[in-house]
Amino acid sequence: MKKTMRQMQKEQTKERLLETACQLFSKQGILNTRVADVAQAAGVSHGTIFLHFETQERLVTEVVERYCGGMAARLHELTCSCGDVREFLSAHLEGIMEFEPFYTRLVIENRFLPLGARDAWITVQSAISYHFSQMVEREISLVRTDVPLSVLFNTWMGLIHYYLENGDLFAPGESVIHRYKNVLCGNYLKMITTERMKHDAKSI
Amino acid sequence: MMKICIACGMPMSQAADFPDGDESKDYCVYCARPDGMMQSYPEKLEGTVAFLMRTQGFDEKAAREVAVRTLAQLPAWKAVRSE
Repeated sequence: MKKTMRQMQKEQTKERLLETACQLFSKQGILNTRVADVAQAAGVSHGTIFLHFETQERLVTEVVERYCGGMAARLHELTCSCGDVREFLSAHLEGIMEFEPFYTRLVIENRFLPLGARDAWITVQSAISYHFSQMVEREISLVRTDVPLSVLFNTWMGLIHYYLENGDLFAPGESVIHRYKNVLCGNYLKMITTERMKHDAKSI
Repeated sequence: MMKICIACGMPMSQAADFPDGDESKDYCVYCARPDGMMQSYPEKLEGTVAFLMRTQGFDEKAAREVAVRTLAQLPAWKAVRSE
């Protein structure tokens, strides 16, 4: 069925609100952004926002669900065809870098968000943990087998997220991932691979 | 446009992501049984809990809660959600 002009305008406004909210969340924090800030930045009245999102919680959830869905798809696309561990880790960081400001906010605030938003964030990590597990299975002769898969994965995520959440200390005013990409990749690789590969990776 | 599996939410970008490489299917290779049919909800739920525990080390109860909530968002399990 063809949409009416009014329906299309409504969808366009909603789209603009989601984009504006995401930009503000990235810049000043998710829970630190008021509905009034979104209305002002998008050039609509306070009441208009509530026509699209019944509560602030709904707005936060929809923004996070929307952008986490995009992140999961992009990270899937980048990491699904990686040939080896180094390529996988590098592609993962490249993907995060594409949406680093919003991703960093989620790292810092996800525990305090509405359940739906937190679930969307967990889904992004699950997309990566899935490809990570596939990669480890393919590279079974190179990756340490005396450490459980979940610990290998969580060590990698913990490392990245620690640098991101303390970005003001590691790379003030610039992209943390851009600056530390090689350091994180190269050194994590040394920690998880067996002697043979370490020998090959000495030059990192 | 990239398809998203109706039963687990995985993006499906290449033939290998589909059961028997059949890109007309709406569910992914991991949500299919050996005969190509889609898994049931209990099968998928247990599989998701096991996946979260194995790859991310979640506590079993927490993993189950996350799995129940996230599966309920997917088109294949709408009926389960409304129960």
